[in-house]
Amino acid sequence: MRLEKCYFCSSTAYPGHGTMFVRNDGKTFRFCRSKCHKNFKMKRNPRKVRWTKAFRKAAGKEMAIDSTFEFEKRRNVPVRYDRNLMSTTIKAMKRVQEIRARRERAFYKQRMAGNKERERELDVREIQNSIHLVSTPAVKAKEVQKAAETPKQMELD
Amino acid sequence: MGLVRRKRTHCSNKELHHRYKTKRRTKDLDQVQEDLRPGNRERLLAMPVDEDLPGLGQHYCIECAAHYIDKTALARHRRGREHRRRLRDLKEPAYTQKEAEAAVGLTTDTGRGGGQRPAGPQSLLSLKRKNDAARQPPAMEIE
Repeated sequence: MRLEKCYFCSSTAYPGHGTMFVRNDGKTFRFCRSKCHKNFKMKRNPRKVRWTKAFRKAAGKEMAIDSTFEFEKRRNVPVRYDRNLMSTTIKAMKRVQEIRARRERAFYKQRMAGNKERERELDVREIQNSIHLVSTPAVKAKEVQKAAETPKQMELD
Repeated sequence: MGLVRRKRTHCSNKELHHRYKTKRRTKDLDQVQEDLRPGNRERLLAMPVDEDLPGLGQHYCIECAAHYIDKTALARHRRGREHRRRLRDLKEPAYTQKEAEAAVGLTTDTGRGGGQRPAGPQSLLSLKRKNDAARQPPAMEIE
C-alpha cells in the first residue's frame, strides 16, 4: 500500500481516493480530490494558492524547520525486518507525533502573539478617526431640538 | 495564481469549461521551460510546414506555446500583457511533485544530508526570538 501526496495541496491521497492525471508526455500527477484536480486544470500555481501546504509553509504560516521532521524520510536503503526494531519504531512514531503536535501548537501561539493588542489598537484608532459618524443620544437630542425650532421660526416669519 | 477570472465563472459558462478540459490542455510551465533550452529552442523555431496549424506552424511563440497566423500577429502578441505575464511566470522554477512532498516534510535522505529547505523564518525558536525582540524595546523605555 502506498500513500501518495497530492500534487496540488500536498495532503495524503489514500488508495482508492482521488484522481491521477497522466500528461501526454507520460508525467503523472496525483490529486487527493476533485478540488485539487480542477485547480490544476485551471493552471493555478500551488505556490500562490493560499490553502495549499506549499503556500502555507513558504509564507511562514506553519512550522517548517524542526527536528521532528528529520525522522520521516524516504531513505532508499532496504532494512532487514526485525520485530524489535519494528515495535520500537512504531512507539517512536507516536512519540514524535506527540512532540510535533505540541510544538505546532506553540508555534501557532507564537505566531498569533500580540494580535489582540494590535487589533484593539486599530479599533481604538478607528473610533478616534471616525467618531463623527456615530451620533450619541445627546447629539441626537440636540438635532431634534434644532429641527423642532426651525419650523417655529418659519411660522413666526 | 495567474489570471483569476472574476466574471462569468458559473456552471452555465460552457466556453470556459470547454477550455479547462484535459483533452485540449496546453503546455505547462515545466514543459515550456524544457522547450526554452538551447537545443529545443532552435528545433521549435524551424518547424516544417504543417497545414493544420495556424499560419502553417511557422509563427510560434515558445513561451506561450501558441501558433500565430503571421509575423505581425506574433509581434503584437509579444508586445502584449499576456506574453509578459507568461515571461514573469517562467522566471521561477516550475512547481514539482518533489516540492509538494517537501511542503509536508517528506524528503529523501541520501545520507549526504543538506536537503531542500523552504525559505523564511519557520522554526519555533526563530519565531520566538523574533517575538521576544519585538517585545523588548518598550520594556527598556520604561526603565
